[in-house]
Amino acid sequence: MAAGPPPSAAEAYRPNRYVSLPAELDPNTYDLSPEKRRAEAERLAIRARLKRQYQLQLNNPNPPTVIEDPALVRWVYARTQNVYPTFRPTPKTSFLGALYAIGPIVFWITVLKADRDRKEKLIKEGKYKRPLSVL
Amino acid sequence: MSKDLLPGPYPRTPEERAAAAKKYNMRVEDYEPYPDDGFGYGDYPKLPDKSLHERDPWYQWDQPEMRHNWGEPMHWDFDMYLRNRVDTSPTPVPWHTMRKHFLIFLSTMLIMFGLGEIYPSYRPVGPKQYPFNDLYLERGGDPNKEPPVVTHYEI
Repeated sequence: MAAGPPPSAAEAYRPNRYVSLPAELDPNTYDLSPEKRRAEAERLAIRARLKRQYQLQLNNPNPPTVIEDPALVRWVYARTQNVYPTFRPTPKTSFLGALYAIGPIVFWITVLKADRDRKEKLIKEGKYKRPLSVL
Repeated sequence: MSKDLLPGPYPRTPEERAAAAKKYNMRVEDYEPYPDDGFGYGDYPKLPDKSLHERDPWYQWDQPEMRHNWGEPMHWDFDMYLRNRVDTSPTPVPWHTMRKHFLIFLSTMLIMFGLGEIYPSYRPVGPKQYPFNDLYLERGGDPNKEPPVVTHYEI
């Protein structure tokens, strides 16, 4: 069974959640096709429009007290007030909710109870040495 | 801000997707919401998980510390990817190589320490020898009585 072609540098790097692919190894940064160039041009147009709006507000002779950023308002709203309306109980969310909410309580109950039962057993058998207490 | 400019529920029809992309100042092809798993993301766009360290430091951002332009959609975990916090910039050595080297080193050290605990090795030792007849007076022996003779040697 012959091995396939050796992995390219980008494949050998194996980017994941914690590191991204360097731009030097990323094929998307080279040889942009006309479609990619058109996409970049559209993104640039959006960016330029937003920059213009911001600069007009910034350089206004009577500037408003606070130039509110709609992206920031949307981000805050999405993370705080939009979570409950868009939440839906599914098997996965129910399981995770039970795991994170009830799991630690049950875990600590069992750990503390087991520890105290062990100590009680030792005391009943007379093997437990009471620690020195300064109180 | 009016309700149609704020985030909403997951977009189901292509028209809703186009409207959401326009709301977030993104291209329709770039806009990709989080999967509709009921986790509470709504129609918020799923941007690439890249930290602010990777953004161009020399570009004239509207907010230079945040490396963010006015109106540009912010990542859901924006406050995690700040420049003081999580850094996802590319490393000179690939991640799997670093992880492998670290785990090899850590496991070697732990195994060696464990073996040292199970099979300790030191120079031969004998019981400690105390002078003055095994410290007879210091241990509360009667000074009027003759202490027991203690010899630690054999000739």
